[in-house]
Amino acid sequence: MSDTTTHKAGAKPPGLLTNLLELPANVWNSVFRNRLPEDDLGRSSTSFTNFFLHIHPVKVHQNTLRPLYTLGLGLMSFFLFFVLVVTGVLLMFYYVPSTTQAYDRMLDLRGSVAFGTFLRNMHRWSAHGMVAMVFLHMCRVFLTGSYKKPREFNWVIGVVLLLVTLGLSFTGYLLPWDQLAFWAITVGTSIAGYAPLVGQQMKFLLLGDTTVGQEALLRFYVLHVAVLPVVATLLIAIHFWRIRKDGGLSRPDDAAPITAAAPAALSVRAVPLAKDKVFGLQGFVRSTTAKFGNVPDRTVFTWPNLLIAELFVFVLILAVILVLALAFNAPLEQPVNVMHPPNPAKAPWYFLGLQEMVSYSAFWGGIGVPTVFVLLLLAAPYLDRKPGGVGVWFARERFLANTLFVTIVVLNIVFMIIGTFFRGPNWEFVSPWR
Amino acid sequence: MRLALAIACFVILIVHGLVFYNQFFHKWQDYQTTYYDQALSMAKTPAEKSSLADKSPRIEQIIVTQFGETRVDRCTTCHIAMDDPRFEKYGHPLKTHSYSTALGDRLVNGKWERRHKFSDFGCTVCHDGQGRGLKPEYSHGEDEYWPEPLLGFMVQANWRKEFQPKLKGKDYLESACAQCHTEENFPGTPTVTEGRKLFFSQNCYGCHKIEGLSDGTLAPDLTEAGKKFKLDYLWESIVDPTANLATSFMPNFHLSDDKVRALVVFLKSRKGLNFAETSLAHYRAQLNAKRPGSESKEEASTPSPAPTLAGPALVAQGEKLLTDHACTACHKLKATDGGIAPDLTYEGLIKDEDWIGDHFKNPRARVPDSIMPSFRFADTEFRAMTAFLVAQHTPPPATAPAEMYKALCQRCHGEKGDGHGPIAWYLDPYPRDLTKAGFINSKSIDRLRHSVKTGVAGTSMPAWGKLLPDDQIDGMLKYVFATFTKDVRVEPRPRKVPETNPVVSNAASIDRGQRTFLDRCAGCHGKKADGKGPNSLDILPRPRNLRNAWFINSVDDRRLFDSISYGVQGTAMPSWVDYGLQTSDIGDLVNFIRSLNPQATRSINARAN
Repeated sequence: MSDTTTHKAGAKPPGLLTNLLELPANVWNSVFRNRLPEDDLGRSSTSFTNFFLHIHPVKVHQNTLRPLYTLGLGLMSFFLFFVLVVTGVLLMFYYVPSTTQAYDRMLDLRGSVAFGTFLRNMHRWSAHGMVAMVFLHMCRVFLTGSYKKPREFNWVIGVVLLLVTLGLSFTGYLLPWDQLAFWAITVGTSIAGYAPLVGQQMKFLLLGDTTVGQEALLRFYVLHVAVLPVVATLLIAIHFWRIRKDGGLSRPDDAAPITAAAPAALSVRAVPLAKDKVFGLQGFVRSTTAKFGNVPDRTVFTWPNLLIAELFVFVLILAVILVLALAFNAPLEQPVNVMHPPNPAKAPWYFLGLQEMVSYSAFWGGIGVPTVFVLLLLAAPYLDRKPGGVGVWFARERFLANTLFVTIVVLNIVFMIIGTFFRGPNWEFVSPWR
Repeated sequence: MRLALAIACFVILIVHGLVFYNQFFHKWQDYQTTYYDQALSMAKTPAEKSSLADKSPRIEQIIVTQFGETRVDRCTTCHIAMDDPRFEKYGHPLKTHSYSTALGDRLVNGKWERRHKFSDFGCTVCHDGQGRGLKPEYSHGEDEYWPEPLLGFMVQANWRKEFQPKLKGKDYLESACAQCHTEENFPGTPTVTEGRKLFFSQNCYGCHKIEGLSDGTLAPDLTEAGKKFKLDYLWESIVDPTANLATSFMPNFHLSDDKVRALVVFLKSRKGLNFAETSLAHYRAQLNAKRPGSESKEEASTPSPAPTLAGPALVAQGEKLLTDHACTACHKLKATDGGIAPDLTYEGLIKDEDWIGDHFKNPRARVPDSIMPSFRFADTEFRAMTAFLVAQHTPPPATAPAEMYKALCQRCHGEKGDGHGPIAWYLDPYPRDLTKAGFINSKSIDRLRHSVKTGVAGTSMPAWGKLLPDDQIDGMLKYVFATFTKDVRVEPRPRKVPETNPVVSNAASIDRGQRTFLDRCAGCHGKKADGKGPNSLDILPRPRNLRNAWFINSVDDRRLFDSISYGVQGTAMPSWVDYGLQTSDIGDLVNFIRSLNPQATRSINARAN
């Protein structure tokens, strides 16, 4: 990077030759308005003026950077979504949502399209990963009590995002149009049919027909590549924006006011501000503590502390997905045969808990219990309004709420495991070790 | 943190390297390079040489549009020398596809001309496999999910080990030939022809439906068997019918491997609408198949005995037909036992010609709940087989009751006398449980003797009186009492029951009877009185089918009154006088039941069928 060349006011405007000579530097500097920051002002300015970085605050609380606090789960979910969008768009160039062509296109992807298998593997494993990560992220937020005021509504958006993620994964499941896809969706949508009063209509709306067929494939495709990604992107944006507006990630109240400067993750060279500096009012950030001036606190600069952590999470996720995509091929079973259902026909793994419960009671397992569970999740921040226990894993004050939540989650996981490994033909109990 | 970051970046780099390597270095490129090199060394003209020198590896494909759905066959990407006669001595994949006059190829001026041009047929039309794949694993159908592995060449790893060697061989390709060459007895497909013959001679058609060929309803429809099932499944279903469905009662026909192979090839060729058919022709065939007169087609093709045949010649003809039609795959005849249907060894003594004739044409005419399919043999064949069965009139030698039970009763009533004999499952009504003292000791000796002697009409219990003298029947009853029933037998005293129905049968009485029936009886006997009510599945012996005219007409009012009033001990039938039914109610019920089974007309109807 070359130094910015400034010309004093009143001086003669530079000639054409000078302009041409300075063109690369000037273009560069107009795009990247800050140099690589070397001091705190530069760090602040970089975070503030870069479109992609301004979603971050200039300084973040140290607690945000504790790997064992967040486990990076939310960020992982987001990066997986990013990988899914990129691979998904590439796959879209080859896919045709038609019952006669979809499966052939899958064979082409596997057989002759450059990187076809690899893209599909990445997309498939990222999708499974995202469902898992979003779910785990929700568990983290609940178990650290992070949905408490003022973050109630952001939690609600998060729950909706979980449902959208499930919807994305579920609609994508049908697209290969193989036996696995067809029967999983047949099972999944018949669960929807058990809803009282509107169940059959809902199923019909979803499938565009009474059975899974061309109409369903088209609907699922449109939902999968257009409607749900847009909804998800919008909700993710709001989700992130509200994190900022709600004062960053949740954390326990600072126990005592800090007198001495806390050790920062990186040494920061303090530069005195110019005396005649004019401050602009950048915005109101809600927080329990108000801060003005250079008061010592437990925050560190986003650049580079937070950014390097985020980069690490991204690179880690990408590495894991790439290795998975190289090692394991996404399944492609035989082409759809409407007359020959596999026994047992299983829903995707994240719905196997539901299917397992459906095998006990169609209504309660498929509709009643999940609806109650989702409603409880949505209402959680409005039902549990005790202020304590925020920002700490398994806080003692939150024993009851955490126990209830863990019980439900563990039950769901147990049902999923039973449904996945312990159910054989006719949904009878089988031992996987047999 | 920075070290971890570096490691993760390194992993990403490595994976990218591997992926790019896989993407740009293919096995098929090597094959093509070798082919072009070899062809270049064989090239004679400079023009040929220069055109070969320009070649660089690329994906080759044949798009086949004339045979069913459009196929994209990229097989020639590896098998690039298929149509190049110079490569006859090379190994696969650079080997020339053989030329054969049997396939219609012709030698013209020292050059072979193919009848089935690859540019028209592609590869998978004849060979199956997956045309779009570029790796042998996928394109040869090694992948267990691919429904059509290379016919006769590729066996999938999950197929049963003992079948794998049997499922290889060129004859399997005939099932693909038969997609276009549908005519019967096409000389190029002898195995399909043999399989089709077996399908009829082994009576498969009695139970299985194949559109346009047969309309059995007892067993799965095989119209699209070749599309739905792979070779191993077809083979397994024939030699081990219970392997896929534990409750299957398809007999094991104990066929030789050659016959099984012929059947498998024939079934593999049944893929519903084939290439040679338009959907209109298919629909027309479907319509014709449903018309009753259309059966003559098959009959004409099977040699039928001259109608003039009579006496011993007719009997001999019948015996041959019985073997040819695999009757003993279900029935027992002397030493051979199919293990599903009743013993025919003494048929001539037990049954008369009318019965056998009726039963042949419509098994349900005489035993209303029989599962025997209606076979559509020619009348002359029925006559010959009937003649043979009528000739089976050698009674069993007199032996001790224990031996006699084993020989005659055990197949149905079971070794332990509990009614669970080996063929009991296939009989309706179910054989009587002789160990139930409640039942046996509540019936008079006369009644039991009568059942054994004259049989039970409308069921599979034959009239043993026709082949055993009275003293042997009494001996058998004593043996059953002592061995199975065990309880000390006390002759029951006759109950107070009207001899004939005191209620006059008229519309009003029948109507009252029906209402009482729906109210009290339908739970077990069913709304239709066919014995299939909602509770019937939990009950053994099953509730009586009250529409079994042969049975109902064989019992008198007294017995119906007795059973309804006082129940049937040892069964689920309760004593209805305890539940408040009056004699008049029972009379109405009896009238209702009788009204379901009009006398006399029934057998005439049956005969007409």
